[in-house]
Amino acid sequence: MKRKIAVALAAAVALAVVGGIAIQADEFTKKDQERWEKEYMSVVQKGRALWTSPQLGTNGVACAQCHPNAANTHPETYPKFQQQLGRVIALREMINWCIQQPLEGKPLALDSPDMVALEAYVAYERRGVALAPGKH
Amino acid sequence: MNPIVPSRRDFLKGAAAAAAAGVVPMSLVKLAFADPAQDFTFAYISDAHIQHISGNKFVRNWDRGLIRAVAETNLLTPKPDFVMFGGDLGQLGMKEELDHGAEMLSKLRAPLHCVMGEHDYYLDLGEYWSKLFGPHWYSFDHKGVHFVVLNSILTHDEWTYNRWPSAEERMLQMAGLDNPNGSPFMVGEKQRAWLEADLDKVAKTTPVVVFSHSPLQKLYKGWNFWTDDAEQVQAILAPFEKVNVIYGHVHQIQYNQIGNISFNAVMATAWPWPYPNAYAQAQHTMPVLTVPMNRADPFFERDATGWQFIDVHTGRVALKYNLYNNTARTVAWNPATGKPEDTVFQDPAKRVPPQVHY
Amino acid sequence: MKRTLLGVLVAAGLAATAVLAADAATAKPPLGLPPVPIPADNLQTPEKVALGDKLFDDKRFSATGQVACATCHDSKKAFTDSPLRVSDGIKKAGKALNGTRNAPTVVNAAYFDVQFWDGRSPSLEDQSQHPFLNPVEMGLKDHQPILKIVRSDPAYVKAFEQVFGKKGAQVTMKEVQQAIAAFERTKVSGNSAFDRYFYGGESGALTDAQKRGFDLYVNKGRCVSCHRIEQTQALFTDNRFHNVGVGINDIQKDVPALAGEFLQAKATLAQVDVKVLGDKRTSELGRFAVTRDFEGLGAFKTPTLRNAAVTSPYMHDGSLKTLKDVVVHYNNGGVTKEGDPVNDFLSGGIRPLNLTEPEIDDLVSFMEALTSPEYASLPSAARMEVKP
Repeated sequence: MKRKIAVALAAAVALAVVGGIAIQADEFTKKDQERWEKEYMSVVQKGRALWTSPQLGTNGVACAQCHPNAANTHPETYPKFQQQLGRVIALREMINWCIQQPLEGKPLALDSPDMVALEAYVAYERRGVALAPGKH
Repeated sequence: MNPIVPSRRDFLKGAAAAAAAGVVPMSLVKLAFADPAQDFTFAYISDAHIQHISGNKFVRNWDRGLIRAVAETNLLTPKPDFVMFGGDLGQLGMKEELDHGAEMLSKLRAPLHCVMGEHDYYLDLGEYWSKLFGPHWYSFDHKGVHFVVLNSILTHDEWTYNRWPSAEERMLQMAGLDNPNGSPFMVGEKQRAWLEADLDKVAKTTPVVVFSHSPLQKLYKGWNFWTDDAEQVQAILAPFEKVNVIYGHVHQIQYNQIGNISFNAVMATAWPWPYPNAYAQAQHTMPVLTVPMNRADPFFERDATGWQFIDVHTGRVALKYNLYNNTARTVAWNPATGKPEDTVFQDPAKRVPPQVHY
Repeated sequence: MKRTLLGVLVAAGLAATAVLAADAATAKPPLGLPPVPIPADNLQTPEKVALGDKLFDDKRFSATGQVACATCHDSKKAFTDSPLRVSDGIKKAGKALNGTRNAPTVVNAAYFDVQFWDGRSPSLEDQSQHPFLNPVEMGLKDHQPILKIVRSDPAYVKAFEQVFGKKGAQVTMKEVQQAIAAFERTKVSGNSAFDRYFYGGESGALTDAQKRGFDLYVNKGRCVSCHRIEQTQALFTDNRFHNVGVGINDIQKDVPALAGEFLQAKATLAQVDVKVLGDKRTSELGRFAVTRDFEGLGAFKTPTLRNAAVTSPYMHDGSLKTLKDVVVHYNNGGVTKEGDPVNDFLSGGIRPLNLTEPEIDDLVSFMEALTSPEYASLPSAARMEVKP
C-alpha cells in the first residue's frame, strides 16, 4: 500500500514539475528575491531620510549631525545594559531615547514603520560587523 | 637648560608658583631651542554650530557649549595672549546664528581672531562673516611666530556657483557631513599663491603656525576630513623648520606628523564626532598616531566636547584638551620621537576602555 | 575551653550570635543593594561595630563637650539633623556655630567612593577625623583630647584591646577611625517599596502615581543617569560630581575672583575642610576647591535618593526644603526661581524638563517610595511646606 502511494506521489510531483507549477517549492525565485531586495532598500532609504531629517525632533537637530552614516550607534552590541535607561534594552529603545533627549521630540511607537526604517538604515550602515551583544 | 612648561594646574597658579612648588611635569619638559622668554599661550575655541530654531530660539545644547568655553577661557591665569575661533560658528550660516555666536564670543577677555568654516561660508559666501570678523584669510606675527589663517573649506567653482538653485539649498547640502552630494574642501590656487608670497618674507627658522578649518591632509573623504590640495599646501610649508597646523572641522582629537609639519585637531564646543574607523563601510587614512578620545555619554551634553589652550614653546605647540566628563588630554611635541604625542595614553599598554571602542 | 555540654552549647550560641552580628554587613545585602564594600584592612566584627557606635555618640570629642558625630547624624532622624539646613556645631557665646553644608545621611554612605559633598575625603575612615577639628563643627585644635579619652576611659581601654589588641599609646586615631567606619558600614538599608516592586517582583508595591513617577524618573525626568538605577541594584548615585545650579548661581559674578584666590591658596585637604565650611561663597565652588579642575566648578557629589523623603532639606546647602522644590529646580533647568539666569558652568546633563504639575507630583510620589522600612515611621518632609 505504501509503495503505491509513494509511486503516486512521485508521479504527481513529476507531473507538477513538468507542468511548470512549483506548488510545494520552498525556494525563493530570483525574481522574488530581487523584488524584495528593492523593497528592503526602499525602507533603508526611508530610514536614511528620517536619519537626516530635522522632523524627528522639535529643535531642528537630526540624528546624522552626531551620527554621520549612523556611525557610533553600535547596533551589533544590542540588546545591552543601557545606563541612560537603567536596564537592558533593544536598539530601538535607544533610538527613542535619542529622539526624546538630544532631539527633544516624541518617542516613536516601538512597532512603527518609521522605527523599523531607522533600524534598517542603522543596520545597513553597519553591515558586516559581527554581533557582540551586551558589549560596551 | 631645560625650561619647564607648566602643567595646566601650575599654569593656572602662575608660572612662579609652579617653579616654587618644585613640580616638574615630566611629560612637558622640552629641550630649549630658543629663548624661553618667547613662550606664550593662546586659547582655541571651535565649531560652536549655533543653530537657529525659530524667532530667538536656538538649540540650547550648542549655546551652552560655547558659553562654557568662553567662561572657562576667561578664568585662565595668566591670561592667554589671544583666542582663536576655529570656524563653524553657525550651523547654517544664518545672520541670526552668526550674531548670536558673536555676542557670546564678545565676552572673551582677550583679542579674538577667527577662522572660516563651511557652515559659516556657504549661505552667503562669507559676506556677513567679513562684516563681523574681517578677511577670510590673513597672517600676523606674534612674539617671533608667524601665524597664517587660511580659508580651507572652499570647493570647486561649479559646485559653489552653478550646482544649486538657491543659497539656502547650497548651504543645506554642504551642512550634511556625510552627504554624498557634498564636494571636497580645498584651499585653492588663489590662496596657495597668496600663501607662497606671504611666506616668502618669513625666515625658514621662524616657527609657523597655520590655522585652517579643514585638516590640510587627506584623512577621510566621505566626511570631508579632507583637503583636496593638501600635498600642494604641505609643499609650500615644507621649507620651514617648525610648522604646526591647527585645524577644526573634525570635532575630535586628532594629531599627526608629516615631514616637518605637526598637525593637531581641536574639539568642538557643540558635539563630538565618531572617528572614521567607527564607520564600518569607510575607506580612510586616519593617522595611526592618534589616540582617540573617549566615547561620549550622550546624556551629558558637554561630554567629548571642549576647548583647548595651546602653549607655544620653542616654536612647537602643546595642546591641552579640556574635555568635560572625561580625562583631560595633553598632546605635545615629543622631541625624542619628532612628533606630537598624547602625554599619558600614547603607549598602547596605557589605553583604557572606552578609548579602544569608540 | 570547658568541654561540658553547656559549655559547648554556650559557645555555639555565642558563635552563632557572633556570626549573625558580624554578617550584618557582610551577609546578604538589603534588597536593591549590592554587598557593602569592606576594605581588607578593616573587616567587620560585632565588637568593632559596637565600639564605633560608642565613639560616634561621644560628645566629649568636641571643644565644648556638647557635640558628637551623632549630634548632626542622629539615628532618630535617619542619621541627619533634619530639618536643619546646615548643621549646628559647638556653641560660642551661647550661639551654635554654623557651617555651610547640609549634613548628609550616614545611611548607605558606605557605597560612596569618596566622602563629603565635594568628595575631599577618600574613605569613611578618613572622613571621620575631620569634623573633630573643624572650627564650626566640633572645634578641637587637634585629636589629642580624643586620644586621651580612649586611652584612659576604662570602657574604651577594654574595647580597643579586645577589638584591635592595642592599648596605651598603641591606640591611635587610625583605630578610632576604623571603628567609626565599621559602625557606619552597618548603616545600609534598601528594601523600600521601590525595591520590592522592581527587584522583588511585587507589582502592587507601588501606587499608580509612583509607577508613573518611575517612568518619568527614567525618561522625561532624566534622573536615572546620575541617580542610578540598574537591572539588579540601585545605588541612586553615580559617584560623580555635577553642577546642578544650586548655590553657584548666587556667586556667578564672583567665580573668577574666588577661583583665583583658591588656586593661589594651594590648600591641603584639611585646609580645604576648614575653608569650605567657613566661607559660604567659597563653599559654592564645590569640587573645584578639591581638584582645581574647571569641570568641578560648582559641582557636588550626587547623593543617594534612598530615604530622601525623611532627610530634608536638600542639596549641599540645604536650600531646597521639600522634594517638590527639588523637582521644580530641575524642571527649571538648574535654577530655583524659574527664569533666573543659568550659571555658565552648569552640567551638560541639566536642562529644562517641561514637566506638568501632575508629573512633578508623580516624581515626588516616586521618591517617597525610596524610604526603607527602618525609617518609614519618620515624618516625611517630602511635601511639608516648611516655613523659611
